[in-house]
Amino acid sequence: MAALAFPRHIRTPPKPSSFSNKPKAKPRTRISVRSSLAPPQLGFSDPFVLELAEALEDSLPSPSSPKLSPLQRIRDASSETLLSTPWPSRKDEPFRFTDTSFIKNSTIYPVSRPPPQSLEAPPASCEETQLPQLAIVDGYIVDFGSNLSGLPDGVYVGSLSNATSESLVERIGEFVSGFDWGDLFWSINGVGAPDLAVVYVPAGCRVENPVHLRYYSAEASDEGSNRLPLSNPRVFVLVEKGGEVDIVEEFIGGDGNRCYWANPVLEVVLGEGGKIRHSYVQNQSPCAAHIKWTSVQQEAESSYQLVEVSSGGKLSRHNLHVQQLGPGTVTELSTLHLAFNEQTQDLHSRLVLDYPHGSSRQLHKCIVANSQGQAVFDGNVKVNRYAQQTDAGQLTRSLLLEPRATVNVKPNLQIIADDVKCSHGAAISDLEESQLFYFQARGIDPKTARKALVFSFGAEVVSQLPNSFVQKKVENQIRELLDPR
Amino acid sequence: MASAPPSLSTARPPTAASLHGGRRRGALPPLPSCGVRPPSLGGLPALRSAPLRRFAVRAALSTADRSAAPVESGGGKELLLEVRDLTAVIAETGQEILKGVDLTIYEGEVHAIMGKNGSGKSTFAKVLVGHPDYEVTGGSMMFKGENLLEMEPEDRSLAGLFMSFQSPIEIPGVSNADFLNMAYNARRRKLNQPELSPIEFWAYVYPKLDLLNMKADFLNRNVNEGFSGGERKRNEILQLAVLGAELAILDEIDSGLDVDALRDVAKSVNGLLTPKNSVLMITHYLRLLEFIEPRYIHVMENGKIVKTGDISIAKTLEKEGFKGVSEM
Repeated sequence: MAALAFPRHIRTPPKPSSFSNKPKAKPRTRISVRSSLAPPQLGFSDPFVLELAEALEDSLPSPSSPKLSPLQRIRDASSETLLSTPWPSRKDEPFRFTDTSFIKNSTIYPVSRPPPQSLEAPPASCEETQLPQLAIVDGYIVDFGSNLSGLPDGVYVGSLSNATSESLVERIGEFVSGFDWGDLFWSINGVGAPDLAVVYVPAGCRVENPVHLRYYSAEASDEGSNRLPLSNPRVFVLVEKGGEVDIVEEFIGGDGNRCYWANPVLEVVLGEGGKIRHSYVQNQSPCAAHIKWTSVQQEAESSYQLVEVSSGGKLSRHNLHVQQLGPGTVTELSTLHLAFNEQTQDLHSRLVLDYPHGSSRQLHKCIVANSQGQAVFDGNVKVNRYAQQTDAGQLTRSLLLEPRATVNVKPNLQIIADDVKCSHGAAISDLEESQLFYFQARGIDPKTARKALVFSFGAEVVSQLPNSFVQKKVENQIRELLDPR
Repeated sequence: MASAPPSLSTARPPTAASLHGGRRRGALPPLPSCGVRPPSLGGLPALRSAPLRRFAVRAALSTADRSAAPVESGGGKELLLEVRDLTAVIAETGQEILKGVDLTIYEGEVHAIMGKNGSGKSTFAKVLVGHPDYEVTGGSMMFKGENLLEMEPEDRSLAGLFMSFQSPIEIPGVSNADFLNMAYNARRRKLNQPELSPIEFWAYVYPKLDLLNMKADFLNRNVNEGFSGGERKRNEILQLAVLGAELAILDEIDSGLDVDALRDVAKSVNGLLTPKNSVLMITHYLRLLEFIEPRYIHVMENGKIVKTGDISIAKTLEKEGFKGVSEM
């Protein structure tokens, strides 16, 4: 990788509002982006990033429909930040333990469009197909595999471009592009997202069935080809005052060692007293790169619960940002990261509390069962001056099952308010010998005992998944990891 | 309640013991290991004993064992456990705890070990089942003619050796039902029997709960997680009831139990006793021995068994403490 020269024809000086003066209608070209050994010029355009942005921009038609204006706003805002954001290096604190060179050293190209009209993704089970679901393939919302019947009146799940209600589009427009905590990957998604999927729950509406978002990367290259087709799915969830909904995000890897880069973003705005239970299951291909952003804004008295189980991908990172917009919010974050292969599982979470009487619980658990495996956790909880009587707890527990398996955890609380109850803790261990012996003393061999104990370590998170079909699916995934066929 | 009513003691069934009756031997001389039954007979068949047979069993115990003089043993019975000059150290520190333990247990016998704190009673129990915290440095332990020292802990368990833990550990995330099912299926595999599915197992385990006055939700709870001291002890005996054992070692099963719980536990232990099954109790108190009557009581001191006798030893202990026993 290191020997590859950066193509000379790249323009390095930044352009004010666009990456290129080429005509926008030009058919998509595959630009191979190669790595450069030169350190990124800070505060100045990183040629690698610029090249990538240009390729993304070229891959998309400019939105003609006025309904897509929120998407255009996202693109404009993201283009601007991209120009001044270099590719992260290990010297940047948020990427100190997460090596992204696997992506950078690959040939990255935006997925071709339109998306395929048939899907090779594993079929959903009968129980699942009964539930409302939206299929998102390579970032495009597709009709096949989607089933949106049986939703209450006023609820909208689908592409923004298909939304018939003007007021809905307007309402969405009020919120998008207002987020300024993102990083390079957030901006890449903003520039490259071909569509905006929307989940809208009107005020006071309680959606019985979970809304199931199934993500799939159809375009992929073979292992060893060193090529990564990039897709940028983007979803916006708006729950109005008093509304309630369960969201299930499932990232499906499919069969075999398929290489691709998924760079999804989920934005959530939760109105006063609203409630979201969010399940996020990441089971990408073992060759994939998966960088996800989840941004949540919580109005007063709202409740947001996230349960994440990630086991796939060669490099998987979840950037989670939860912002409190009013008092009395409840936030519960539970994560289980499994690194059973040569892979990195990373959670960077930030919870910002600015109002009184908030309550938050975070549990992060990870199991690293490969000597080349790594888990990273940087969990920041910020309790600002006015967030009095906050009750914040954070706990991370890691299980390292192989020699040289690595975990880098950094749980941290920043407390400025003076009347709060906060706790945090971190524990890293192998399986407890006394527990193993208890199994043996009852005639259970150590191999079976280890599996049961590893499974039970994860069960604390898995059991919190609110929907039983998701829970069953995840349990089977973990069983398969423990007992590969 | 532990001893059988007098009328039953006359209804002595033709057990293996009584059929071979007549041949008598002292308590200590070792039996040649060739006379031992094949080890493949696990504790399982005994578990399915109908209530009627249990009664008969208790009767048999009270006549064949309990009425016999303490020094007499066997009556044609098989040797179950034979420990000779066993020495063991704490693996981490090398500190010697067991300094030459000798103990012989025949099938159908109930033994108790008493002794001061730190005398090595619990260590002895743990060494028998292969606890990794201890290292055996000398001597021998034979169980049904097999060398325990060459067996992994799980193989010792499958061979019919069971120890109830003094402080059973919590296993969060593993339900009692799953744990028991796993352990029971490990036994079935060993006996070349088909494994039981969770539903089949439920049907098997459910009646055992009654035996211990346990509620069904006990099975859904995680192993020992949030259990009270009494619940943990009951859970150990539930495991014994499910898995069965030819030799059950009960390490301070009475500590932390109120009288009612103790009665429940003792009732189910007595219910499990057959002419083939033996029990080794470790305790500080006479109270337990009133519920489960031992034939032999051993006093352990400084890593050795220093005295063996009948229940009168325990009574002396209760009155005069360990000093009184040493002076006996």
